[in-house]
Amino acid sequence: MVVGGFPSPADDYIEAGLDLNSLLIPHPISTFLWRVSGEAMQGAGIFDGDLLLVDRSLQPRPGRVVVAVFEGAFTLKRLERFRGGLRLQAAHPAYPPIDLTSATELQIWGVATHVIHPL
Amino acid sequence: MASTLALIDCNNFYAACEQAFDPLLQGRPVVVLSNNDGCIVARSREARQLGIGMGTPYFKVAQQLQGLGVVVRSSNYALYGDMSARVMACLGARVPELEVYSVDEAFARTPALEAGALLAWGAELRVLVKQQLGLSIAVGMAPSKVLAKLANRLAKVDPARAGVFRFPTAAALEPWLEAVPVEEIWGVGQRLARWCRLRGLTTAWALSQANPALVKRQWGVVGLRLQQELRGISCLPLVQGPTPKRETCVSRSFSKPIEDLRQLREAVATYVVRAAEKLRRQRQLTACLTVFIRTSPFQSGFYGNSATVKLPLATNDTTVLLQAALPLVAQLFRRGYRFHKAGVLLQELQPLGQLQQHLFVSLSPQQQQRREALMQLVDQLNGRFGAGTLQWAVTGLQPPWFMRRGHLSPSYTTRLKELPLVQAR
Repeated sequence: MVVGGFPSPADDYIEAGLDLNSLLIPHPISTFLWRVSGEAMQGAGIFDGDLLLVDRSLQPRPGRVVVAVFEGAFTLKRLERFRGGLRLQAAHPAYPPIDLTSATELQIWGVATHVIHPL
Repeated sequence: MASTLALIDCNNFYAACEQAFDPLLQGRPVVVLSNNDGCIVARSREARQLGIGMGTPYFKVAQQLQGLGVVVRSSNYALYGDMSARVMACLGARVPELEVYSVDEAFARTPALEAGALLAWGAELRVLVKQQLGLSIAVGMAPSKVLAKLANRLAKVDPARAGVFRFPTAAALEPWLEAVPVEEIWGVGQRLARWCRLRGLTTAWALSQANPALVKRQWGVVGLRLQQELRGISCLPLVQGPTPKRETCVSRSFSKPIEDLRQLREAVATYVVRAAEKLRRQRQLTACLTVFIRTSPFQSGFYGNSATVKLPLATNDTTVLLQAALPLVAQLFRRGYRFHKAGVLLQELQPLGQLQQHLFVSLSPQQQQRREALMQLVDQLNGRFGAGTLQWAVTGLQPPWFMRRGHLSPSYTTRLKELPLVQAR
């Protein structure tokens, strides 16, 4: 194909379109999509049925929302410092925190990074 | 510094993928079954420890497995394929060269490091894949591919090596290779093994030290290369990027035997559709199509047969291939037999060319372009919405012979409707 005519003065200013994938998923190899079930994280803006992006390459630091393995199920909670240890804190008054005493073995599957919630 | 090659593979890959997405499976014995839930093709560490054999037919041990509390899963190819791609991408970002060798193993050139640093590098790689994907890998390092393969096995057998092992320099190989039976060398088939045994070459070390002239006379360059590789001299290069396939085959056993022609046509048509998809994905054309069918070899009155047709022009058009294949089915079919397996083999594959003039097919270039666009659209839709979204009516709807997968886990990573669930309760 041959394009004739004057070059557009805007040519020098063309930028790549925005890509949600690169914006939301900086680590595609270790990022997985999850589905949320339940209301316990409503206070953090995560609702029943929402899609959740979970990155396994991030360190699960206190303050982050994590997917944890607890009593044979995947559970979504915020990791918090508590009396020199850690606990899993829901974001809903009806759900008590889970204290992680040294006896409890906690496995963190990944760190939640974004939630996709339809309006 | 001589460059080092590594063979990196995933431990119990299929079972580990199942365990990564189901907390109830962690620490429990898990087995994965082959097509049609036929045989055990993967076992978790816990299942190995129970002494469950690889390749055992499922029906023979189903009761026993239940009694032992073993979790049984059908092969979930969507899940394993996605996890495999992630593992390879993860490794590929950390080595200068990677050759993907199978779904769960790859050869790699390691970074140029000293011996001690190499072991630390391997250990870091293990931690990384474990953290990012929840899968355990083993890393075997050596100056050649054949030795890297052996090193990988040595990395696994001794827990003290923690999944990482490196062969010492070529000068110190003897004690290691003396302990490896000749059959266990990568690339040594039954014939070569028998030949070695007859000459008293029972270990990898013995083969590596055998008279090269003798090896060459019987086994040619292939044998010499194997010998060199065992001596730590690299002869087999890393192959990067997929090698162009010479042929493509789609073949399955039926979950129930087929006795009538209509069902057999549906089965073969389904395989043709799959094979054509593979061909288009590989950007290839075929000029030769074979259909084969057979009854069970374990029952009396065996019948098996095949028929081949040369195509006037190489193609990857599903419709053209179906038109070629279906008459062959009618030709091969015999009434009164219970067919157990069928398949489609595409040969004489060639790369997709720029110009494809169909001299003997009455299609104008415009019609030809529209056909290609149609195939593209079918592939796109089936890719996005799942296999079988658009299908050819001749393949039948919900056929009774379709693959049995009674213990299939969700496609956790590839289907929006089957994502893993996290409880917020």
